[in-house]
Amino acid sequence: MPGRQSRRSVLATIAALPLTGALSACSSSDGASQSGSTSNANSTGAKRATHITFWSALRGSQQVVDAFNRTHDRIQVDFQQIPAGGQGGYAKLSNAARAGNAPDVATIEYPQLPGFAIDGVAREITGLMSDGLRAKLLRQALALTTFEKRTFSVPLDVEPMVMHYRTDLFRQYGLHVPRTWDEFEEAARAVRRKGNGRRLANFATDGAPQFASFAWQAGAQWFDTAGGVWNVSLADDPSRRVASYWQRLIDQDLVFMNPVDGRQSDAQISNGQVLVRLSGAWDAGAQMNARPAQKGAWAVAPLPQWDTAAPSLGTHGGSTFAVTKDSSHPEAAMEFIEWQVSHPDALRARLSSGTSSQYPAAPGLVPVGRKAFDRSYYSGQDIYRVFEEEAHKIRDGWIWGPRMTATSKVMQDGFARASGGQGSLIDAVRAAQKGTMPDLRALGLATTERTS
Amino acid sequence: MTSPLTTTPSPIGATRPADAPSSAAPARTTRRSSRRRELGACGALMTPFFVLLVTVFLIPVGTAVWLSFFSDDQPGLGFGPEHTVFVGLRSYTAVLTDPTFLSSLGTVALYCVIYIPLMVVSALALALLLDSGVVRLRASAQLGLFLPHAVPGIIAALIWLYLYTPGLSPVIDLLGKADITIDFLGLHTVLPSIVNIALWSNLGYNMVVFYAALQAVPREVIEASVVDGAGPVRTALQVKTPLVRPSIVMVAMFTLIFALQLFTEPMLLGQASPVINSRFSPSMYIYDAAFTRNNYGLAAAASVVLLICTIALSYGVTRWTNRATAPEEDAR
Repeated sequence: MPGRQSRRSVLATIAALPLTGALSACSSSDGASQSGSTSNANSTGAKRATHITFWSALRGSQQVVDAFNRTHDRIQVDFQQIPAGGQGGYAKLSNAARAGNAPDVATIEYPQLPGFAIDGVAREITGLMSDGLRAKLLRQALALTTFEKRTFSVPLDVEPMVMHYRTDLFRQYGLHVPRTWDEFEEAARAVRRKGNGRRLANFATDGAPQFASFAWQAGAQWFDTAGGVWNVSLADDPSRRVASYWQRLIDQDLVFMNPVDGRQSDAQISNGQVLVRLSGAWDAGAQMNARPAQKGAWAVAPLPQWDTAAPSLGTHGGSTFAVTKDSSHPEAAMEFIEWQVSHPDALRARLSSGTSSQYPAAPGLVPVGRKAFDRSYYSGQDIYRVFEEEAHKIRDGWIWGPRMTATSKVMQDGFARASGGQGSLIDAVRAAQKGTMPDLRALGLATTERTS
Repeated sequence: MTSPLTTTPSPIGATRPADAPSSAAPARTTRRSSRRRELGACGALMTPFFVLLVTVFLIPVGTAVWLSFFSDDQPGLGFGPEHTVFVGLRSYTAVLTDPTFLSSLGTVALYCVIYIPLMVVSALALALLLDSGVVRLRASAQLGLFLPHAVPGIIAALIWLYLYTPGLSPVIDLLGKADITIDFLGLHTVLPSIVNIALWSNLGYNMVVFYAALQAVPREVIEASVVDGAGPVRTALQVKTPLVRPSIVMVAMFTLIFALQLFTEPMLLGQASPVINSRFSPSMYIYDAAFTRNNYGLAAAASVVLLICTIALSYGVTRWTNRATAPEEDAR
């Protein structure tokens, strides 16, 4: 049975989790020298080359760095693989910045970028970025890394939320791909009726980013920076609408409600208990890697809409590259970043490490990704065409908050309680706002808040 | 403090041989030198304490207080250059209006209410049992009870996490066979589960404290009570227990201080239970504020609030017991 782990490995993981953060936080200073990844110092130019350091948790980064170092004499990159942000990567970065030895280039996801920009870890790069690079990037992606017309990082990929669904089970139950959320609810009801224990989808109790994406699509504006003030309104009308929609599905037992990270969810997908995953474009490749046996069973469709006449969408996932305040070679760092996000060789190198369906923030690279992607898992479907169409629906104006990790955590605590029968989804959203405001005030930020 | 320290070796070394033969003539100098010697010894013995007090308590507390009143601020949205400014009570206002911090205080209060009485009563009961001689194999019972205390807290939490996790735990498997399903990490069971871990770890230690105190109870008092016709239970409860009252106060106080710092167990169990959030206890709130929210002002203010609560409660416990003992002594 896939997804079943031995006792020892589970315990080891449990034991290691709290330690990774602490340990990585301590070993930041000499990290770059430990990595041993400084490849090919054989070229004669390498001696005079500017060396920059790069931290990332993204898969395939080593291959990208190797390809860069092979083709560049003037700049050489020393790469260090670090844990994913939530598993200690961000703590490591903050601590390094506090100690004054952050790497030249760091990887930061969209929701965490405002926090790192406010803390002064991510340097303002408005002046460093060439107009050529700006023109290469999807407008909506760049808007997410720009605050008050000042840019703080360069998007690598932008991930429109899509619907991954089981074609075989849809056929078996005679379902059509839902185009609206009303149709989605109908489909959920049909699966509940016919599916002997199956459910259409899972509402992730650890899924604040998913919920944010739903709210984003519905027109919510959790954070707004108009007037030079952080206006916080997590429970605005669209968010309440989304919360009550999912609450209704949960109350009628039309969807599962459990964490999406973990054995339970893994088993639900592997055993065909859920028919649909609502997640970013990247998840198509992750699914191929995780469950090769389900080849041919999945397809990708656009996320259901509230109003098909005015389609709108949020993102789920995606990373950006920032030049840190400690970088002594910001121009070289910027050159490396530009190559990474916009050069076809960079994307090819990244994809050489294994299957990935990331959607590049530079639309010019989409053909490269599409060509490199093996379509056989999705029965020949051109999933990049879906991504491309969806990426243009990403709604403008969304802004992540200054302490998004914490906001998400409080919200997820509320979701988990709701799954245990205590409170509702909207309670969790309101609690997240209440738990966020003291943080922002203690940081000395100008804030206003709307509660409803 | 430095001068007595540096002179200590010489007076001790020099005066001792001369001390014995001539006692009458240089009495004055001897007194002075013995006074110096006392001061020197006092300084030598106290210095490590003060050095530790300053380096591991006063300096960190001072840093926390400083951090709670100053902050690196940027105006408006926060994307500008930083300036260190005095922010007054801003961090304190923020922490005291944070519902997640208040709920963490509530959690730890509930934990104390369950844990402290349970700990004191069971440790005392076990000590009295051992002392009364009812238990055979006293030495091995003592060792068995004390041994868990030697297990570091994080390992203890790991062991119990194993026993609490459905699918891994042999205990849950066994209970399942008897048709009893229990979720040790559920909404209402998780706090008792944590109490259980703390109890398992510290019961033996506190029992030894009580047992040592009971050994010091004069045997004639007990003999007198036996002669007066008190049974073993009555002797234990009405003769021995009042006599070890100072130990009870001390154990209660230490347990309180330990309990207020609740961190390791929920931190680890939180990996397996969604019910334990990242701000479950005040210490976890502080950790989360500093290391995931990068909000050092908030973390420092929360630390100071927790410190004040701890001091106030400890003071309250001592005052309360003093008042409670005072009338008794008056009556005598």
